[in-house]
Amino acid sequence: MYDHNGEEIFVIDGHVHLWDATEGNITHEGGEEFIQCFYDYHTTFTPEDRQWSIEEYRKYGPDRMVEDLFENAAADMAIFQPTYLTDFYGDGFNTTEQNAELATEYPERFVLNGTFDPRDGEEGLEYLEELHDTYDIQGVKLYTAEWRGESKGWRLDDEDAFEFLEKCEELGIENIHAHKGPTIRPLNRDAFDVGDVDDAASSFPDLNFVVEHVGLPRLDDFCWIAAQEPNVYGGLAVAAPFAQNRPAKFSEILSELLWWLGEDRVLFGSDYAIWNPDWLVEAVLEAELTQEDRMEYGVEWDLETKRKVMGENAAELYDIDIDEKKRQFREDEISERFGLEDHYASDAPAAADD
Amino acid sequence: MPGPTPDGPTREAVRARLDRVTDPELDRSIVELEYVDDIEIDAGSVTVHLTLPTAWCSPAFAWMMAVDARTEVEELPAVERARIYLREHMHEIEINRGVNAGRSFAEAFPDAEDTVDAVRAELDRKARTARQYDAVEALLEAGLDPETIVSLRPQDLERTDGDDQLSIYLADRAVAVSAPAEPIERYLEKARETGLADADADPLFLTPEGEPIDPEAFELVHRRGRLAQVNMSSQGGICDGLRESRERRLEASD
Repeated sequence: MYDHNGEEIFVIDGHVHLWDATEGNITHEGGEEFIQCFYDYHTTFTPEDRQWSIEEYRKYGPDRMVEDLFENAAADMAIFQPTYLTDFYGDGFNTTEQNAELATEYPERFVLNGTFDPRDGEEGLEYLEELHDTYDIQGVKLYTAEWRGESKGWRLDDEDAFEFLEKCEELGIENIHAHKGPTIRPLNRDAFDVGDVDDAASSFPDLNFVVEHVGLPRLDDFCWIAAQEPNVYGGLAVAAPFAQNRPAKFSEILSELLWWLGEDRVLFGSDYAIWNPDWLVEAVLEAELTQEDRMEYGVEWDLETKRKVMGENAAELYDIDIDEKKRQFREDEISERFGLEDHYASDAPAAADD
Repeated sequence: MPGPTPDGPTREAVRARLDRVTDPELDRSIVELEYVDDIEIDAGSVTVHLTLPTAWCSPAFAWMMAVDARTEVEELPAVERARIYLREHMHEIEINRGVNAGRSFAEAFPDAEDTVDAVRAELDRKARTARQYDAVEALLEAGLDPETIVSLRPQDLERTDGDDQLSIYLADRAVAVSAPAEPIERYLEKARETGLADADADPLFLTPEGEPIDPEAFELVHRRGRLAQVNMSSQGGICDGLRESRERRLEASD
């Protein structure tokens, strides 16, 4: 938990990966371009002394991931968002099965999401059901710009996609996370257009649509859709690291989100390992809205809002009881490993800075 | 052998033309954004080298900037031929060849799903929406109320030469209010490029969708203008950051 001037903030990192971009796993030049592009985003928005080498970035493994997330209690829980990219990577880049390695070892700490791709047809529906049966998934991460043979992407408002969303409804998979963010080379930028979320969200009012990366570079289109669709949420991954080296810009983006969506529909995510919660959580929580933005938008980045964005909103979507979790973490394996029992035991959290 | 070439343009003249070219996603000049590396002038032949923030900057955006740069520079009477070369772009070969040979985007990129015109129209719409925000802010500042602002037409504006203010005539031209010309003209330029606010009696300001503004929706439309600005400048922040880290990397490998 983050100690914010003596107040605890329970942090659920809503967007993490455990990927493998080693050369041996790359089967298409797109795979190399993709990881290099990720790496550019990493170096652009990471303080210089916290940057990784490209070698460690290709594959960091479960041990390092657990340390980065939990050693200093930067995050208390995390949600795995898979990215398959099986046309680029032999075993996939970051699949549910790869993520499950950690998620099933520490089920109290991780939420494991699945995925679907409507281009897989009947087989895809069976796979979704299998993921649900095996891992009891409550959410899916969708990557509409993923290449599949000749196809360079798909849309959430396609008839085929609707069939999968119906299946999600039927299985009780309520949280639909769609990557709608910056273009990642070599993927086609237009496949990340946010327009398709609108129709899907109004057709499936019982599902929650979390637009990851708040649609950047289409924040305007995203906010306008979200303002009209109450079941559309914004995931802060990519916007969050602006807090570190573009604080005025971060203030503006956050103010827009709080104005258009309100404090209940914005969710923190680090996008680990693009960025690392071990410094990012602090950067976001210590960020301030500028005086001008507070006046103009009439919104606040105060303790209550921070608690919601950093954890409570995700807890609501995934039925996580935060108080129960705090009790559980007094003696779970992670707390024992990192000596965090006291951190979760006392009312005032131990200093968790590195 | 070609005949004698006339004297070439000045570097300042070329830069001034290039300054009119915008990064369509950011609605800012490519000169201001420091994309222009180099201008070579050889009598009537001008060569411009550009580097964009990322090697994978959208081919459609890169194409628009290169074509616009060529068109603008060739507007100069002293220029017979302008060539534009992108550097360090994943599609620099297709773009440089296509633009300098006067081909269309579709010819250069047969696989592209969207036409460059559709992409341009969408970005122009956003730029217009963002520019409208500044124009409307200037009018609010000048004391106009929302109801009056949404009822304005181009015919209500009057610019006196050499003045940086515009006069806005209200109440059947019985009253004139003065406001800064720059944001309003900058808005009008983009609106007209997209075929809006063109006739004297057209509505001056519009919703992002291009409809007249209902006075009750004024605040919401104005907010959307602000949002369009924040979106563009956020993307600008990403582009700036990527360019800086790219430069650091290129320097380190030198």
